[in-house]
Amino acid sequence: MYLDEIIENLSLKVLTDHTDFSETEAKSGYCSDLLSCVMTGADQGGVWITLMAHSNIIAVAALLDLSAIIITEEAQPDPDTIKKANEKDVRLLSSPQSSFQVVGKLWDLGLRSVEK
Amino acid sequence: MASKQPVISDEYAEKITRVEELAYEIRIHEVMTEDVYSLKPDMKMEIALDIFQEQRFSGAPVTQGDELIGILSIEDLIRSLREGNLDAKVSDYMSTTLSTVRMHDPVVEALKTFSRTKYGRLLVTNQEGKLAGIITKGDISNGLLFALQRDYHAEELIRYRASHLFEDIVSGRTSLILRYEIRKGDFIHGGDASSKIKRALLRLGASPQIARRCGIAVYEAEMNLIIHTNHGGTLRVEIEPHKITMEAYDDGPGIEDVEQAMKPGWSTATHEIREMGFGAGMGLVNIKRCVDEMRLISSKERGTNLYMIIYLDNKEVPAEKETGP
Amino acid sequence: MKISELVTRINGILLTDENKQDSEIAGAMGADLMSDVLASIQPEAALLTGLCNPQVIRTAQIADIRAIVFVRNKKPGQEMVRLANEENIPLITTRHGLFETCGILYQAGLKSLEM
Repeated sequence: MYLDEIIENLSLKVLTDHTDFSETEAKSGYCSDLLSCVMTGADQGGVWITLMAHSNIIAVAALLDLSAIIITEEAQPDPDTIKKANEKDVRLLSSPQSSFQVVGKLWDLGLRSVEK
Repeated sequence: MASKQPVISDEYAEKITRVEELAYEIRIHEVMTEDVYSLKPDMKMEIALDIFQEQRFSGAPVTQGDELIGILSIEDLIRSLREGNLDAKVSDYMSTTLSTVRMHDPVVEALKTFSRTKYGRLLVTNQEGKLAGIITKGDISNGLLFALQRDYHAEELIRYRASHLFEDIVSGRTSLILRYEIRKGDFIHGGDASSKIKRALLRLGASPQIARRCGIAVYEAEMNLIIHTNHGGTLRVEIEPHKITMEAYDDGPGIEDVEQAMKPGWSTATHEIREMGFGAGMGLVNIKRCVDEMRLISSKERGTNLYMIIYLDNKEVPAEKETGP
Repeated sequence: MKISELVTRINGILLTDENKQDSEIAGAMGADLMSDVLASIQPEAALLTGLCNPQVIRTAQIADIRAIVFVRNKKPGQEMVRLANEENIPLITTRHGLFETCGILYQAGLKSLEM
């Protein structure tokens, strides 16, 4: 599944620079608001769903080479965080819906997490 | 009975149980009709008809002296009317197979006899077997309803007393103060004080919404004392008839920029605190959303004082306020 | 959805006493930040979380949460289970992650219970 499909189906707002989302694959999904869990649980190429918007999430996503972060409940990262995301090539997407709803819709689209 | 089995809700089931209980608790003499008009066996049916019409009876016992010998029902009267035999004596038409119940038995005994005999009324006898009264299904229903109502009033009274605690105490200014010392870094007991406060409010008759709002506000304040202070601090809740004042105070280090601290998402919490699920910069925002009035005073010298007030005057308390733009 | 059905759907294990299994949950919220839970969860919801400390139970008690589901096989200690029994809040653990748990329950028709 590619990011453009996810963005379109979930009506996500793109917070970072627009790139060709049909080229970025979303291989799996992961949901948590605890950085240490994401560090051990999320996988390369995965989409991370969280309601956190502080700048630490960019470092984690860059380190794990995630394909995108979906920030839920319309939490708003500050301009510095978005700038840092663009620099590190981390795609930030946003939804007014809850993590529960966003994950539910991704599940409906067929996105799964990686079996550990 | 051919009626359809109704769907019984829990609430209804509870009432049924109470009715059943009452059927065992209430005695027949409590609900029966005393001073029963009794007919004499040699009375003409015509006279009995007049009496039934005047008194709107549907049945009456027949006695000889103080001895119970039969019962005459409206059906017996109809029979004699149809046969054109109003000159006959009561003893010719009365029924002598008597279904009696004892006055000191519980109502449930009468209910059992009703369902066994299909009679509409039963004669009630005293210890000596003499007529003491008459009981109908209607008497039982009324008696049970009355008792249920009495129960309900008793329950209401308890609730009233708890929730009007303050009105029963006459003083210039009555208030109840709850105070809790909160220790720095005590995550194990974090939230204990808040949950005690919430429970106390519910017992005092606060609505679940009010208790929830107070609980959330005071919980965030409690966690702030655990996370951000030098030595912990104090939670003080003052409950008055018209308002609840919650106060959290500590002796430092104080908040550098109060205005900034009030912004959603702004936090000074460490990574470790965030990993515990706190320090998302939503605490003060949450508090503001839950209370009617909030004041935050902080200085490096005197530490931080947080006042939160919820007013109880407004009868219809709105749900938690919406935050943000 | 009844709590017993929720447990079955996510292959969960009920850790608290086997009462209240019949009580109905009105929806769910998935989050690890307790302030966020306090800010937005509606009464009678199930909280799905990867956070496993006593504050989760306190938060549940204060915010009138019906049940707590610990994801990623997190198991609370005895003290937490005791506290939850005392507060009458069922604790459930599942080996699924938060992503699967949300996905499965969303598909089962459980709605999001947030403001």
